[in-house]
Amino acid sequence: MTCHDAREQFSALVDDALAPGERAAAEAHLATCAECRRELQRFRDTVAMVRAVGPLRAPAGFVDRVLEAARPVPWYRRVVRSLFLPWPIKLPIEAAAIVLVGIGVALVYRATPVQRFSPVESLAPPMRDRFEGAVPPGSAPGPAREAELAREYSARRELPSGTRELDKTGEMNKAKDHAEASAKSRDAKEAADPSKAPAQAPPAVAAPPADAVQQSATLSRDRDAQKRQERREKLEAQLADKGDAARAEAERAPSAGTEYLQRAPTLAAPRSQVDAAGAKPASPSITGSAFAPPAVSGRLTVADREAALRGVAELATRLGAETYRTDSAAAEDQLVELMMPREVYPEFIRELARLGRWQPINEPAELPARVRVVLQITR
Amino acid sequence: MEGRTDDDAYLVDRLRRGDSRAFEDLVIAYQHRVFGVALRMLGNRAEAEELAQEVFLRVHRAIGEFRGEAKLSTWLYAITSRLCLNRLTTGERRMARQGEEILTRLASREVGPAEEMERTELETALHRAIADLSEERRIVIVLRDLEGLSYEEIAAALELELGTVRSRLHRARMDLRDKLERFLP
Repeated sequence: MTCHDAREQFSALVDDALAPGERAAAEAHLATCAECRRELQRFRDTVAMVRAVGPLRAPAGFVDRVLEAARPVPWYRRVVRSLFLPWPIKLPIEAAAIVLVGIGVALVYRATPVQRFSPVESLAPPMRDRFEGAVPPGSAPGPAREAELAREYSARRELPSGTRELDKTGEMNKAKDHAEASAKSRDAKEAADPSKAPAQAPPAVAAPPADAVQQSATLSRDRDAQKRQERREKLEAQLADKGDAARAEAERAPSAGTEYLQRAPTLAAPRSQVDAAGAKPASPSITGSAFAPPAVSGRLTVADREAALRGVAELATRLGAETYRTDSAAAEDQLVELMMPREVYPEFIRELARLGRWQPINEPAELPARVRVVLQITR
Repeated sequence: MEGRTDDDAYLVDRLRRGDSRAFEDLVIAYQHRVFGVALRMLGNRAEAEELAQEVFLRVHRAIGEFRGEAKLSTWLYAITSRLCLNRLTTGERRMARQGEEILTRLASREVGPAEEMERTELETALHRAIADLSEERRIVIVLRDLEGLSYEEIAAALELELGTVRSRLHRARMDLRDKLERFLP
């Protein structure tokens, strides 16, 4: 055994962990090597020093802290911990999730079809009531007016891009797109030949309920469709009522033209009165609703209301616009409803500005071919 | 040692039976040893206490898994060593290592003032020498020379071959001999 081999055994020798043969060989070498004996002694002294190090003691209260920590945690604390701890990580994530959900809800809400009627909802209630109950005396008798309203309704359904996203449900979409394409082509034909409109109108009028049935494929769409259907039925009832009244009025005074509709509710009339007045069952001839909100509405502030009213009438005559109705409001305001081609609308607005201060309430960037304008003439 | 083994067997039995006082007895019996190993390995008192607490909580949760093939103390040392080495090797350290003086202060001594100074210097040097060892050598020295485990127990606790334990222990002692040379006669 060499000195190196012997010194490699020192640790086991000190611990008495050598096999008998190894121990005998190591001791035999040590008996003949003074240097290795001295090294072994230094090694023993080192181990003795290390073993003499005093034990460390746990801090006071350690046992109590361990016992406290080992106690079962109540379920509500475990839930809170799992939800919020470690809070520097989980709280920001949870806050971000809440914000994202909020944004998602807002986006879904904005894309909901009901929102497409927001122009109506955003108007002051008295004006909204006017729009919903509006039936032009000039065109009210007969289905022509209903068909026109139905076309506008269909056109509005086609406009928002968000509508497309909501209606993407496989085969149902194809049917819907087909129906919309048909409606578009009909619109184009009718624009060229208005006399055909009454005959072609009924299918377009019937389209919305069919869509509503298709959209009931999912629960949310079901709800939307149901809301729309209820709204339609309500509006149909009002429309039928007003339509009947308008027809009767037209029969009594066919040349009424721009005369006031005295039976129409006033600006100050609450919505409930209008609803009550329009609670009659809908006429079968207008099933499917022909409601169309005005494309443009606004307030014309003038010094002389009567002069402004005359000015608007002259302007309408000059530009070829149809004045459907002028309502005398309680004491302050005058409501005038006109229908004009899109081409003359900019000139109409320019001329209107000469009569008074024009403040548009709703003025979409894209106007339909026939623009319905509702003026609230006020002093 | 036999008595201790019998005590441990009884303690384990009580723990398994759900004796509410058994866990407290276990912590009282092993707190200093577990804390001592953790402090020598981590070198930070607060971190050592945190780790020692974790050791006992693991024992509390897993006492049903203790098969009794090894001694209870070996099982506790095994858990402590593994947690310490994991923390040291995975860079989970949250607290800085403290000076060796704290270890000297924490060591229990009942000696006179003159001897105290001499002992303090030697012990500080010893603690520093031990602390300067590599982690794998330090744990072997701590378990063997400070806690008194046998080679076999160390091998079981660290899941090492017996020859590896012997080799690491020898290297560790040689390192210490070199570092403590000035204190040797």
